[in-house]
Amino acid sequence: MLPGKYRAVSGRAASNVNCGLHLVIQTSSLPDRNKVEFRLSKETPSFSGRLLQHDLERNYSSRQGEHSSLVSSSMPAFPILHRSTEEKILCSDRLTLERQKLTVCPIIDGEEHLRLLNFQHNFITRIQNISNLQRLIFLDLYDNQIEEISGLSTLRSLRVLLLGKNRIKKISNLENLKSLDVLDLHGNQITRIENVNHLSDLRVLNLARNLLSHVDSLSGLDSLTELNLRHNHITFVRDVDALPSLQRLFLSFNNICSFDSVCCLAQCSSLSDISFDGNPIAQEPWYKHTVLQNMAQLRQLDTKRVTEEERRVASVVAKKEEEKRRESQKQSLLKEKKQLAIRNIARQWEQLQQRRGSEATGPERPGSPSAAQDVSQAQGSGPAFPEEPGSPDAPPGPALADTHLVEVDGDTLSLYGAGALECLDRSWSTQTAGTVTTVCFTFIEFDDIVQVLPKLRMKFPNSLHLKFKETKLVMLQQFNALAQLRRIDQLTVDPQGNPVVSFTLWKYYVLFRLSHFSMQKINGTEVTQNDMIMAERLFGILAHVASSELPQYRLISILGDARKKQFRYLLDAKGKRPGLVSEDASDSRRLLTENTNRATLNYSTRDFFNERLEEIREKKQLCRAYTEGLVQEAAGIHTKAEALQRLWPQMFIELVRDAVVDIRSKDAFMKLSLQHIAQQK
Amino acid sequence: MLSPERLALPDYEYLAQRHVLTYMEDAVCQLLENKEDISQYGIARFFTEYFNSVCQGTHILFREFSFIQATPHNRASFLRAFWRCFRTVGKNGDLLTMKEYHCLLQLLCPDFPLELTQKAARIVLMDDAMDCLMSFSDFLFAFQIQFYYSEFLDSVAAIYQDLLSGKNPNTVIVPTSSSGQHRQRPALGEASMLEGVEAALFYQRLESLCDRHKYSCPPPAFVKEVLSNVQRLTFYGFLVALSKHHGINQALGALPDKGDLMHDPAMDEELERLLAQVPGLVNPVTGSPEASSLPSRTTPRVGSPWRPLHHTRKMDAESDGSTEETDESET
Repeated sequence: MLPGKYRAVSGRAASNVNCGLHLVIQTSSLPDRNKVEFRLSKETPSFSGRLLQHDLERNYSSRQGEHSSLVSSSMPAFPILHRSTEEKILCSDRLTLERQKLTVCPIIDGEEHLRLLNFQHNFITRIQNISNLQRLIFLDLYDNQIEEISGLSTLRSLRVLLLGKNRIKKISNLENLKSLDVLDLHGNQITRIENVNHLSDLRVLNLARNLLSHVDSLSGLDSLTELNLRHNHITFVRDVDALPSLQRLFLSFNNICSFDSVCCLAQCSSLSDISFDGNPIAQEPWYKHTVLQNMAQLRQLDTKRVTEEERRVASVVAKKEEEKRRESQKQSLLKEKKQLAIRNIARQWEQLQQRRGSEATGPERPGSPSAAQDVSQAQGSGPAFPEEPGSPDAPPGPALADTHLVEVDGDTLSLYGAGALECLDRSWSTQTAGTVTTVCFTFIEFDDIVQVLPKLRMKFPNSLHLKFKETKLVMLQQFNALAQLRRIDQLTVDPQGNPVVSFTLWKYYVLFRLSHFSMQKINGTEVTQNDMIMAERLFGILAHVASSELPQYRLISILGDARKKQFRYLLDAKGKRPGLVSEDASDSRRLLTENTNRATLNYSTRDFFNERLEEIREKKQLCRAYTEGLVQEAAGIHTKAEALQRLWPQMFIELVRDAVVDIRSKDAFMKLSLQHIAQQK
Repeated sequence: MLSPERLALPDYEYLAQRHVLTYMEDAVCQLLENKEDISQYGIARFFTEYFNSVCQGTHILFREFSFIQATPHNRASFLRAFWRCFRTVGKNGDLLTMKEYHCLLQLLCPDFPLELTQKAARIVLMDDAMDCLMSFSDFLFAFQIQFYYSEFLDSVAAIYQDLLSGKNPNTVIVPTSSSGQHRQRPALGEASMLEGVEAALFYQRLESLCDRHKYSCPPPAFVKEVLSNVQRLTFYGFLVALSKHHGINQALGALPDKGDLMHDPAMDEELERLLAQVPGLVNPVTGSPEASSLPSRTTPRVGSPWRPLHHTRKMDAESDGSTEETDESET
């Protein structure tokens, strides 16, 4: 028997509800013991009696129960909930309806003082029928099927609204809930934060496990201390610095990829607890330090306390970063200066060329406009150059001056401008010199380069690749000069400023003349066997003629000149160490034997050639004078001989005639002769 | 030898005509320059060598331009040397620009002037488009004329200008349509402009030039031949005709006929021998076989008294590494 307090009165019920479904609670089959008890508390065990759900499913209009408490109605009606007055007095402000298999919110009758309402773990799809509970402070709809926030507009006192694990797609209809303190919307399908700006008393906002892609529109939440945004798709965070009270911010397991996206957090001085784990930025090597550096106020990071040690380390790292940045700035500045210098040199080069071109015979070559300046070394060589501890010379940073530039970059030595050739006079550490395999010449006349080639060979023995750009290579003959190097594997002659490249035969000539180097690449293209054969075919006879058909003394004089120069230079450079000298001599001998027939093909610069001619001129004059003397003598003798030839017959006849005349009268002759003899005595 | 004409000339004239003094002076000069080296193996040998090379035409190799230009024999030798050395370039069929030919010339003579090459190119290209490519034979024959007869050609140019501008009162230049031009390209404005000069008149002047010219000039008979073929001709037409004339070429004696220009069996043999060693070129050590080819050629001349290894002063007394190689290859 159902106690009277549970009687359902359909008529009264009908007048109390707006629409329909009447709930009939029939517990007739229940034993007396199993009373239906309604208690509202979070820990309430589930309702042990027959579940209301069971009754709800019935079409009450057709149900005829034992008690005539059935209500029939043609419209679908909400279940109505009634509690006994005892219950009401016991816990007048709490009502727990969790796990009741409710699909709708029941009409709660006569509970206007209700303050806590628990609908956890049901199947409710819409928030309804609670508008009358205007004293409600705590509403828990966790784990339902609510799709939209609605029906809350009368709950002006609501402080805690738990809507976790529902199907809410949009935050809305919270306008009147100005006292809201805790809003829990975790586990929903919310894509944007909106319509919360009026919740100035809100302290905790839980939007974890939603579909948020960014965080903004957070203004107005002046009391917010905790914001939970875990497990979303957040890529950037904004406006957080507009939250003056925010202390804890959880951004774990989102999609934040760069610190820029959360840069507003740095201004958030109230933040003491933040979590970024599970984001891409947390994988970065200095994630912790960056965060700590930018947010000095932090006390917990990723739920771990931030120690002083970590903070210190973070600041150190940050300082290093700063330094690195400054360094790279300096580097780029240096690079700019270098570019400027190169452009300057290029301009000077052009001017020089123009001037030379316009000069008729160029008796005096105009030197580079500015006087030779001291090579100023850039301060603080960057990390590209190896540090050389203990080397007497400063590390070879890019040496800049207005007229020339010398740069060592790993294995490349670059020289710009004629003044740069002086750098070969400097003492280079063996380490630097040993690593240089490529030498680039730009804006330098080839004739000038030729003169320093022996030095180059000495100082940079490993240089295998030569590059020439804007070096006025105009004749094939100039390549002869390269033969004095130790070895060349690759040769690059840039067409710019090197007219020789426009010749059809230049590559073959190079291959021919420098065949003993067995070069591998010219201007980037591999040298094939065919190339070598062609080179030999084209110029082989030249070599043959140059070697075998030259008279011996010419051979000696030509080779002697070249070798003499080298030899003298070697002497100067190496000091007078005889052992070494002979080594070099034998080295040069060996080199010579490799390509004897080409060795006579030398290149001497125009100046040098003219100098020699000048020197010879005196000798020539002497020779001429001498020869003329000889000729005169010979001519004189010849004339005399001719004259003698001419005159001799006559003279002979006269001699004979005189003699005959004398002897015509023998006596007279005898007397005359005796007289002569007597006189002579 | 003792021909009457020879003896008829007075001394200096004879010497001058044969350029004997040039060679004497040059020989003595060379002696002075290299006296340390030459003194080792004897002056007599030196003079033998020198005049041998003069006879063979190898004395002009790598000499300065003033010497090469000094005598007709030098010039002819130079032409021949150029032909021999770079015949392979022509054989290869490469067409080169004037600048490149100039480069090749400079390989043999470092201070060869550009003007001469330019003038030669002008002959080939008929004073047109100086950047054009020229074939080896064209260039060579034009260069021959230009170089060998350069002074003559200067005078001819002057005469031509005179005739063209009608300075000679005897000239009557009748404007006719051009004919018999040895042009390779259509002439500019043939009908309107005055084309060249009358051949006959031109020849008269040239004849008188040849008589009094102290420099060498082409045999007048051939000149007449060239000029008799045409009515009028231009300066460059004339030069082209000269360059292509077989008779003049043969009279010069420096270069073979055009047909045989690419033939030189002796050198080809030598070249083959060199080429056979090319694969070995990859390894510098085996490059010595090339050098060893030298002794085989030079042994007739490099006798034992020649060994400059006796030079104690020069430590790198390879001078001719071939001698060293000879030792090595013989052992």
